[in-house]
Amino acid sequence: MEKKLSEMDFDEEGTVKEIEENLRVQVAGMGIRVGKGLRMATKQPIKGPVVVEVDRSFTSLGLGIAKKIVVAVE
Amino acid sequence: MKILLMGHPNVGKSVFFNRLTGAKVLESNYPGTTVDFTRGWMRLEGEEVELIDVPGTFSLEPKDRAEEVAVKMLAEHKDSVIVCVLDASKIERGLYLALEIIERGYPALVALNMWDAAEDKNITIDVEKLERILGVPVVPTTAISGEGVKELVSRIHEAAPVRIEKIIETAGGVRDAGGDERATVR
Repeated sequence: MEKKLSEMDFDEEGTVKEIEENLRVQVAGMGIRVGKGLRMATKQPIKGPVVVEVDRSFTSLGLGIAKKIVVAVE
Repeated sequence: MKILLMGHPNVGKSVFFNRLTGAKVLESNYPGTTVDFTRGWMRLEGEEVELIDVPGTFSLEPKDRAEEVAVKMLAEHKDSVIVCVLDASKIERGLYLALEIIERGYPALVALNMWDAAEDKNITIDVEKLERILGVPVVPTTAISGEGVKELVSRIHEAAPVRIEKIIETAGGVRDAGGDERATVR
Protein backbone atom coordinates (compact mmCIF):
# COMPACT_ATOMS: atom_id res chain seq x y z
CA MET A 1 0.00 0.00 0.00
CA GLU A 2 1.22 3.47 -0.79
CA LYS A 3 0.72 6.59 1.27
CA LYS A 4 2.27 9.98 1.85
CA LEU A 5 5.17 10.09 4.27
CA SER A 6 3.17 12.59 6.32
CA GLU A 7 0.41 10.00 6.73
CA MET A 8 2.62 7.25 8.14
CA ASP A 9 1.82 6.08 11.63
CA PHE A 10 4.24 6.18 14.51
CA ASP A 11 6.86 3.40 14.22
CA GLU A 12 5.57 2.40 10.78
CA GLU A 13 8.19 1.29 8.27
CA GLY A 14 8.19 1.84 4.54
CA THR A 15 10.20 2.29 1.37
CA VAL A 16 10.41 5.57 -0.52
CA LYS A 17 8.53 5.26 -3.82
CA GLU A 18 8.29 8.77 -5.15
CA ILE A 19 9.68 12.19 -4.37
CA GLU A 20 8.37 15.32 -6.02
CA GLU A 21 10.85 16.38 -8.68
CA ASN A 22 11.84 19.79 -7.28
CA LEU A 23 12.45 18.29 -3.86
CA ARG A 24 14.73 15.42 -4.85
CA VAL A 25 18.05 17.19 -4.54
CA GLN A 26 17.07 18.78 -1.26
CA VAL A 27 16.18 15.56 0.53
CA ALA A 28 18.93 13.48 -1.10
CA GLY A 29 21.45 15.34 1.05
CA MET A 30 19.49 14.18 4.08
CA GLY A 31 19.74 10.55 3.02
CA ILE A 32 16.24 10.22 1.57
CA ARG A 33 16.12 8.79 -1.94
CA VAL A 34 13.78 6.56 -3.92
CA GLY A 35 14.26 2.97 -2.77
CA LYS A 36 15.40 3.87 0.74
CA GLY A 37 13.84 2.20 3.74
CA LEU A 38 12.67 4.44 6.55
CA ARG A 39 10.75 4.39 9.81
CA MET A 40 8.50 7.05 11.28
CA ALA A 41 10.13 7.98 14.57
CA THR A 42 8.15 10.98 15.81
CA LYS A 43 5.16 12.96 14.66
CA GLN A 44 4.60 16.38 16.16
CA PRO A 45 1.08 17.76 16.62
CA ILE A 46 -0.36 20.95 15.10
CA LYS A 47 1.22 20.52 11.68
CA GLY A 48 4.60 20.04 13.29
CA PRO A 49 7.55 18.31 11.68
CA VAL A 50 8.03 14.57 11.40
CA VAL A 51 11.19 12.71 12.34
CA VAL A 52 12.16 9.68 10.29
CA GLU A 53 14.90 7.16 10.79
CA VAL A 54 17.02 6.44 7.71
CA ASP A 55 20.16 4.29 7.89
CA ARG A 56 20.13 4.33 11.67
CA SER A 57 20.16 8.10 11.88
CA PHE A 58 17.34 10.56 12.33
CA THR A 59 16.20 13.34 10.04
CA SER A 60 13.43 15.80 10.68
CA LEU A 61 11.27 16.99 7.81
CA GLY A 62 8.69 19.74 7.61
CA LEU A 63 5.16 18.48 7.09
CA GLY A 64 5.04 20.25 3.74
CA ILE A 65 8.00 18.23 2.53
CA ALA A 66 6.69 15.00 4.05
CA LYS A 67 3.48 15.43 2.06
CA LYS A 68 5.43 15.40 -1.18
CA ILE A 69 7.07 12.04 -0.56
CA VAL A 70 5.22 8.81 -1.32
CA VAL A 71 6.10 5.72 0.66
CA ALA A 72 5.17 2.06 0.18
CA VAL A 73 4.22 0.41 3.45
CA GLU A 74 3.54 -3.25 4.22
CA MET B 1 47.46 26.78 -0.79
CA LYS B 2 44.20 26.98 1.09
CA ILE B 3 42.38 24.23 2.94
CA LEU B 4 38.60 24.29 3.31
CA LEU B 5 36.82 22.26 5.95
CA MET B 6 33.44 21.25 4.58
CA GLY B 7 30.69 18.95 5.75
CA HIS B 8 27.21 18.68 7.18
CA PRO B 9 26.20 20.75 10.18
CA ASN B 10 27.28 19.23 13.48
CA VAL B 11 29.99 16.86 12.27
CA GLY B 12 32.88 18.57 14.04
CA LYS B 13 34.39 20.91 11.47
CA SER B 14 35.05 23.56 14.09
CA VAL B 15 36.66 21.04 16.42
CA PHE B 16 39.00 20.19 13.55
CA PHE B 17 39.65 23.85 12.93
CA ASN B 18 40.57 24.44 16.57
CA ARG B 19 42.80 21.36 16.65
CA LEU B 20 44.66 22.38 13.52
CA THR B 21 45.05 26.09 14.18
CA GLY B 22 45.08 26.18 17.95
CA ALA B 23 42.25 28.72 17.82
CA LYS B 24 39.26 28.82 20.08
CA VAL B 25 36.28 28.89 17.76
CA LEU B 26 32.98 28.32 19.47
CA GLU B 27 31.97 24.68 19.32
CA SER B 28 28.69 23.32 20.50
CA ASN B 29 26.80 20.09 20.34
CA TYR B 30 24.00 21.38 18.19
CA PRO B 31 24.03 21.94 14.44
CA GLY B 32 24.50 25.26 12.74
CA THR B 33 26.98 26.83 15.15
CA THR B 34 29.09 28.24 12.33
CA VAL B 35 26.93 30.51 10.19
CA ASP B 36 29.75 32.70 9.01
CA PHE B 37 33.16 31.33 8.14
CA THR B 38 36.37 31.48 10.14
CA ARG B 39 39.91 31.70 8.85
CA GLY B 40 43.06 30.52 10.52
CA TRP B 41 46.58 29.47 9.75
CA MET B 42 48.39 26.21 10.29
CA ARG B 43 51.82 24.87 9.50
CA LEU B 44 52.00 22.16 6.88
CA GLU B 45 55.38 20.71 6.00
CA GLY B 46 57.11 23.90 7.09
CA GLU B 47 54.75 26.10 5.14
CA GLU B 48 52.01 28.38 6.50
CA VAL B 49 48.70 27.46 4.94
CA GLU B 50 45.33 29.08 5.34
CA LEU B 51 42.54 27.00 6.82
CA ILE B 52 38.90 27.98 6.44
CA ASP B 53 36.09 26.62 8.57
CA VAL B 54 33.09 26.66 6.23
CA PRO B 55 29.53 26.61 7.61
CA GLY B 56 27.81 23.23 7.51
CA THR B 57 25.82 22.38 4.41
CA PHE B 58 23.81 19.33 3.38
CA SER B 59 24.45 19.76 -0.31
CA LEU B 60 25.83 22.24 -2.81
CA GLU B 61 22.30 23.40 -3.63
CA PRO B 62 21.91 26.10 -0.97
CA LYS B 63 18.67 26.27 0.98
CA ASP B 64 19.53 28.83 3.65
CA ARG B 65 21.98 31.62 4.43
CA ALA B 66 24.64 29.39 5.97
CA GLU B 67 24.54 27.03 3.00
CA GLU B 68 24.78 29.95 0.61
CA VAL B 69 27.96 31.06 2.38
CA ALA B 70 29.34 27.53 2.11
CA VAL B 71 28.68 27.19 -1.60
CA LYS B 72 30.00 30.68 -2.32
CA MET B 73 33.19 29.94 -0.39
CA LEU B 74 33.76 26.81 -2.40
CA ALA B 75 33.28 28.72 -5.66
CA GLU B 76 35.63 31.49 -4.56
CA HIS B 77 38.47 29.15 -3.63
CA LYS B 78 38.99 27.11 -6.74
CA ASP B 79 42.60 26.44 -5.82
CA SER B 80 41.94 24.89 -2.42
CA VAL B 81 42.12 21.41 -1.03
CA ILE B 82 38.84 20.36 0.55
CA VAL B 83 38.72 18.30 3.70
CA CYS B 84 35.26 16.69 3.66
CA VAL B 85 34.37 16.08 7.28
CA LEU B 86 31.78 13.30 7.59
CA ASP B 87 29.93 11.90 10.55
CA ALA B 88 31.07 8.26 10.33
CA SER B 89 27.80 7.12 11.87
CA LYS B 90 25.83 8.86 9.11
CA ILE B 91 28.22 8.10 6.35
CA GLU B 92 25.84 7.86 3.40
CA ARG B 93 24.51 11.37 3.47
CA GLY B 94 27.99 12.67 4.16
CA LEU B 95 29.30 10.90 1.11
CA TYR B 96 26.60 12.58 -0.95
CA LEU B 97 28.14 15.95 -0.22
CA ALA B 98 31.69 14.62 -0.59
CA LEU B 99 30.83 13.30 -4.05
CA GLU B 100 29.29 16.62 -5.04
CA ILE B 101 32.55 18.32 -4.07
CA ILE B 102 34.67 15.76 -5.89
CA GLU B 103 32.42 16.04 -8.94
CA ARG B 104 33.16 19.76 -9.14
CA GLY B 105 36.81 18.89 -9.59
CA TYR B 106 38.27 19.83 -6.23
CA PRO B 107 41.14 17.84 -4.75
CA ALA B 108 39.63 16.33 -1.63
CA LEU B 109 40.23 14.21 1.45
CA VAL B 110 37.60 12.47 3.51
CA ALA B 111 37.72 12.57 7.31
CA LEU B 112 35.43 9.94 8.80
CA ASN B 113 34.93 11.90 11.97
CA MET B 114 33.11 10.81 15.11
CA TRP B 115 34.69 7.41 14.54
CA ASP B 116 34.25 6.64 18.23
CA ALA B 117 30.51 7.34 18.03
CA ALA B 118 30.21 5.06 15.00
CA GLU B 119 32.01 2.30 16.90
CA ASP B 120 29.62 2.76 19.78
CA LYS B 121 26.75 2.24 17.35
CA ASN B 122 28.45 -0.95 16.07
CA ILE B 123 28.98 0.59 12.66
CA THR B 124 32.01 -0.75 10.86
CA ILE B 125 33.36 0.91 7.75
CA ASP B 126 35.79 -0.66 5.32
CA VAL B 127 38.07 2.36 5.05
CA GLU B 128 40.47 0.77 2.56
CA LYS B 129 37.66 -0.16 0.21
CA LEU B 130 36.10 3.28 0.45
CA GLU B 131 39.46 4.82 -0.32
CA ARG B 132 39.89 2.53 -3.31
CA ILE B 133 36.46 3.49 -4.65
CA LEU B 134 36.77 7.23 -4.10
CA GLY B 135 40.42 7.49 -5.10
CA VAL B 136 41.02 10.12 -2.40
CA PRO B 137 42.56 9.68 1.07
CA VAL B 138 40.03 8.49 3.65
CA VAL B 139 41.03 8.80 7.30
CA PRO B 140 39.03 7.76 10.38
CA THR B 141 39.20 10.53 12.96
CA THR B 142 37.89 11.51 16.36
CA ALA B 143 38.64 15.22 16.30
CA ILE B 144 37.55 15.82 19.86
CA SER B 145 40.26 13.51 21.22
CA GLY B 146 42.66 14.19 18.36
CA GLU B 147 42.75 10.66 17.03
CA GLY B 148 43.58 10.44 13.32
CA VAL B 149 44.12 14.19 12.96
CA LYS B 150 47.87 13.81 12.45
CA GLU B 151 47.36 11.17 9.80
CA LEU B 152 44.84 13.38 8.03
CA VAL B 153 47.27 16.30 7.97
CA SER B 154 50.10 14.07 6.73
CA ARG B 155 47.95 13.01 3.79
CA ILE B 156 46.76 16.44 2.66
CA HIS B 157 49.38 16.45 -0.11
CA GLU B 158 47.87 13.24 -1.54
CA ALA B 159 44.59 14.97 -2.36
CA ALA B 160 44.03 15.20 -6.10
CA PRO B 161 40.98 15.71 -8.31
CA VAL B 162 39.21 12.51 -9.28
CA ARG B 163 36.79 12.09 -12.17
CA ILE B 164 33.32 11.16 -10.92
CA GLU B 165 32.90 8.68 -13.78
CA LYS B 166 35.91 6.79 -12.44
CA ILE B 167 34.31 6.54 -9.00
CA ILE B 168 31.01 5.33 -10.43
CA GLU B 169 32.87 2.75 -12.49
CA THR B 170 34.92 1.49 -9.52
CA ALA B 171 31.80 1.31 -7.40
CA GLY B 172 30.07 -0.72 -10.10
CA GLY B 173 27.23 1.76 -10.42
CA VAL B 174 25.43 3.21 -13.38
CA ARG B 175 24.90 6.73 -14.55
CA ASP B 176 21.49 6.99 -16.10
CA ALA B 177 20.47 9.17 -19.01
CA GLY B 178 19.08 11.94 -16.84
CA GLY B 179 22.53 12.55 -15.45
CA ASP B 180 21.33 11.38 -12.06
CA GLU B 181 24.17 9.32 -10.65
CA ARG B 182 23.47 6.27 -8.65
CA ALA B 183 26.55 4.51 -7.44
CA THR B 184 25.89 1.29 -5.62
CA VAL B 185 28.60 -0.22 -3.49
CA ARG B 186 28.48 -3.97 -3.62
